[in-house]
Amino acid sequence: MAASNDGGDELGALTAENEIPVLPVQVITRPYMLQQIRGPGSPTVHNLELETMIVGRADDAEIRIGSTALSRRHMRLERYQGGYRALDLDSSNGVYLNEVRVFSAVLRDGDTLQLGNAVFLFHEGK
Amino acid sequence: MAFLVRFWGTRGSIPTPGRATYRYGGNTSCVEIRNGESLFICDGGTGLRELGVDLIKRSSAPISAHLLFSHMHWDHIQGFPFFAPAYRPQNRFCIYGTHPGDTRFHSLLSGQMRSAYFPVDFSELNAHVDATDLGPDGARDIEGVIVRCFEQKHPGLSYAYSLEKDGLKVVYATDNEIDLTLTDPTQPVREPNAPRLIPGKFIEFCRNADLLIADGQYTDAEYLKCTGWGHARATTVVDLAVQAGVRQVAIYHHDPMQSDRDVEAKIEVCRQRAARFGSPLFVFAAREGIELKVN
Ligand SMILES: [Zn+2]
Ligand SMILES: [Zn+2]
Repeated sequence: MAASNDGGDELGALTAENEIPVLPVQVITRPYMLQQIRGPGSPTVHNLELETMIVGRADDAEIRIGSTALSRRHMRLERYQGGYRALDLDSSNGVYLNEVRVFSAVLRDGDTLQLGNAVFLFHEGK
Repeated sequence: MAFLVRFWGTRGSIPTPGRATYRYGGNTSCVEIRNGESLFICDGGTGLRELGVDLIKRSSAPISAHLLFSHMHWDHIQGFPFFAPAYRPQNRFCIYGTHPGDTRFHSLLSGQMRSAYFPVDFSELNAHVDATDLGPDGARDIEGVIVRCFEQKHPGLSYAYSLEKDGLKVVYATDNEIDLTLTDPTQPVREPNAPRLIPGKFIEFCRNADLLIADGQYTDAEYLKCTGWGHARATTVVDLAVQAGVRQVAIYHHDPMQSDRDVEAKIEVCRQRAARFGSPLFVFAAREGIELKVN
């Protein structure tokens, strides 16, 4: 509801001296993130900005983890319904979402992903 | 060949959108089970709508699927009128009855699309939607997958289905108040930690399943207020799975009053129970949007 403006006195009180300053509107955006909390290279944070990203020990993986416990191309992250989903690329040691071995999963804020000895926290963007 | 099992709806009774159910999901019963090119769909709750959208996105090839319904309560059929592939002439769907000549599910599905309930009539679905059945023994080889059914305890009856191929087995068993079928239904209150004796026939039906998806709607406390409503205590599902030598069990058909935290607390109690029995059983919560490879 807009403030009532039928009281002339109230309107009159808004003078140049006591007017609330209007700040320029700023949209704060936080990217989707994969925060590595365990395993080689941790702690670190990877911003997720591409449509698809490979996580693995391959040199050309977008998120590279130097561990033989991971397959070369272990997991793909891809944009899905405005967020991300994870897909196991038939890795040897699997993808565990909050301890459940999954073949694919739509990710939610706060999810834990374990790939070999690397553990990640997924953070949704804003 | 592996089974790929994807959850499209895991909620019981009524959809529950919103932040409190964001992680485990608010859509009602629908599970996709694939084996090679064969596609099975267990129940058509509201999760079926999104599965339909996804199927169309995956490929432009004709879609053929086998629909297995546990029963016809609303939360298991509501997605069907919104299942977009059913409106396309190149697609084919088989709806299975549980015994020869049983076309109940086909006719009840078409019933929910009469004009008083829904603007589009069943006859306007352009896909081939055929009524068929599982045969005299309630078991049938469908594209090399052996599908069996089992009658369950639920108001108006419901059916569990097992799918087997190449030594792998997935069981879908929802809307089943197994607590009322226990040899001694009062035992869980008297001796909550003692193993509950599940009827042998149902144990055999679930025997050695690699994945059991089972109605575990209630916590022990909730069940006492909802006895007779047709759903199980999650802890009793643990006993079934342990006694049947199941590898992993997805607790399914979450109560609409349960938040994500409530679901997690329910699962924790189930895991502690399995551990107390010294069982290697893995218990987890069925969650919308996850896919498992059963191999
Ligand atoms: Zn139900
Ligand atoms: Zn029901």
